Amino acid sequence: MSAGVAAVRTSGLGKRYGSRWALRDCALEIPAGSVTALVGPNGAGKTTLLHMVIGLVEPTNGDVEVFGRSPRRDAREVLPRLGFVAQDHPLHRNLTIAEMLRYGRKLNPSWNQQLAASRIERLGLSQKQKIGRLSGGQQAQVALTLALAKQPQLLVLDEPVASLDPLARREFLNAVMEVVVDDGLTVVLSSHIVAELERVCDHLVTLAEGATQLSGPIPEIVARHRLLTGPRGDVASVARVHDVIRESHTERQTTLLVRANGHVYDSCWEQHEVDLEEIVLAYLGYRPGNGASTIPAREAVRA
Amino acid sequence: MTWVGWRLQRTESLVVLGTLGLLAAFLVPTGIQMANAYHRDGLAACLSFNPGPTCAGAVGGFRQRFQSLIDLSNWFTLVPGLIGVLLAAPFIGELEHGTYRLAWTQSITRGRWLAGKLGVAVATATVAAGALILLFAWWRAPSVHLDGRLDTGNYDTTGIVVVGYTLFALGLALALGAVWRRVAPSLVVAFVGYFATRLFVDLSLRDHLIAPLTTTYRGTSQPGFLYNAHIISMYAALGDHEIMSGGGFVLGGQRKLAAPRLGHAVFHVVYQPESHYWPLQLAETGLFAGLAAILVLFAAWWTRERAA
Repeated sequence: MSAGVAAVRTSGLGKRYGSRWALRDCALEIPAGSVTALVGPNGAGKTTLLHMVIGLVEPTNGDVEVFGRSPRRDAREVLPRLGFVAQDHPLHRNLTIAEMLRYGRKLNPSWNQQLAASRIERLGLSQKQKIGRLSGGQQAQVALTLALAKQPQLLVLDEPVASLDPLARREFLNAVMEVVVDDGLTVVLSSHIVAELERVCDHLVTLAEGATQLSGPIPEIVARHRLLTGPRGDVASVARVHDVIRESHTERQTTLLVRANGHVYDSCWEQHEVDLEEIVLAYLGYRPGNGASTIPAREAVRA
Repeated sequence: MTWVGWRLQRTESLVVLGTLGLLAAFLVPTGIQMANAYHRDGLAACLSFNPGPTCAGAVGGFRQRFQSLIDLSNWFTLVPGLIGVLLAAPFIGELEHGTYRLAWTQSITRGRWLAGKLGVAVATATVAAGALILLFAWWRAPSVHLDGRLDTGNYDTTGIVVVGYTLFALGLALALGAVWRRVAPSLVVAFVGYFATRLFVDLSLRDHLIAPLTTTYRGTSQPGFLYNAHIISMYAALGDHEIMSGGGFVLGGQRKLAAPRLGHAVFHVVYQPESHYWPLQLAETGLFAGLAAILVLFAAWWTRERAA
């Protein structure tokens, strides 16, 4: 993953609305060619981060670069390389699909009409249909088509499946996977749902309360985390070496989810593997600095 | 961006066209009647000022038949406001429904998008205002002849001020909508604001937009140049007593004033002469168009800087 240019790189990136920080001190690197899931609860700052990446929002402080360029200052260079599907995939409801595609063609020099038309056809839609008459899943697919036909190098999807039913969700993610396999483009998609993402994504970033907690390749993240169970008792000895992400206690037993810094030698703890969903859920309730040592997420996982 | 701009304003353009069509459906038949009566009775030959016995009857007949219609049509001065605010809807709609995010992540810069979007609205508003002027200038030709170009109803509907009015309403709705991001309330409030501004300008500001003239005359013979002038205020004095102000005689001892004595009264008039028509039109158009420009630029700037 160190090879190649980063598709997205942020440093010290923050956005404040009034007195509230929507995102704070965010340092990220999304490698070109990766498919990254940006996970966090509602209000964690996912949309703000994505909007800064695509240049919709000006950062309050810090920097964001897309393929080494500022999406705001170099909009002319960056915009043609971006494909974006906003939350709830807004489209012009009173246009037909054909007109919506014409819209894309008029506003993008690199538009690929052939690609757009064949995608619409494969979706079983007629170009004469009005956007407003399509189902949510179909609208999402048209929005994705619009984003893909401008032939981007970075595809940014903000909560693309949140409003879709399970079937439409699956179809949408399949469509995304297809283009990733075919064109090798970089994809960043945000979600508050973890399920299904593992199938699509190879990188993960978690956000909670405006701060990144975890960032890196999914296999490394999974390998790095352990579930420890042992008799109820002293957690401090573990916490001295490892980062305790979550602890829970029953009368006799303590269960810890830790980010291991090296091996866990202590024989009184039984070790288990944890799956991605559980790790993510643990992080979403995790406050670095409240007990566990604060380690910048990126370094912690990448080290 | 041109095709995109027009296509996304198609509904509003059709409504504007429909409004003009409805207006024409009312104005064309009544206008033909009015023009026929005007020619049949030879009103064109009548100077409305000091008409003389034959013309007085013709003018009176014409007024009896059409004056209430003409007065009613003064309300059509609200149509530019209606058209103006309506043409702001496509822009505000993009902000309300979030489709501007779609536009801003295509390959064009937001500056170009704003220019295209707002340019289409401004162009349509200008053309629609032009159509209104043509329609009303034809319809009101008899009224312009009888009452002059400075008559408020004529002035407000047949001059280039209509372009200023339309653009002002458009700009006001765009500016409100840029901040508010909701179509319906923005249009309603902008229309109310348009109405209030027009009332203020019509009733008060216009009189002083260009320095008015003053004149005095003695007796009952009003000078001809006052006939088509816009009278701002007048009073009459007899010796040291003011016996009349504004439109009517001052109540009190002077009520018994006999006609012969009125001949000795001195009338003081503040007015805008007919010759001020173009300077007034240009000044008022400049005022409204200038405000419109500021409001449109504000809407663009606010959207560019604040929207996300």
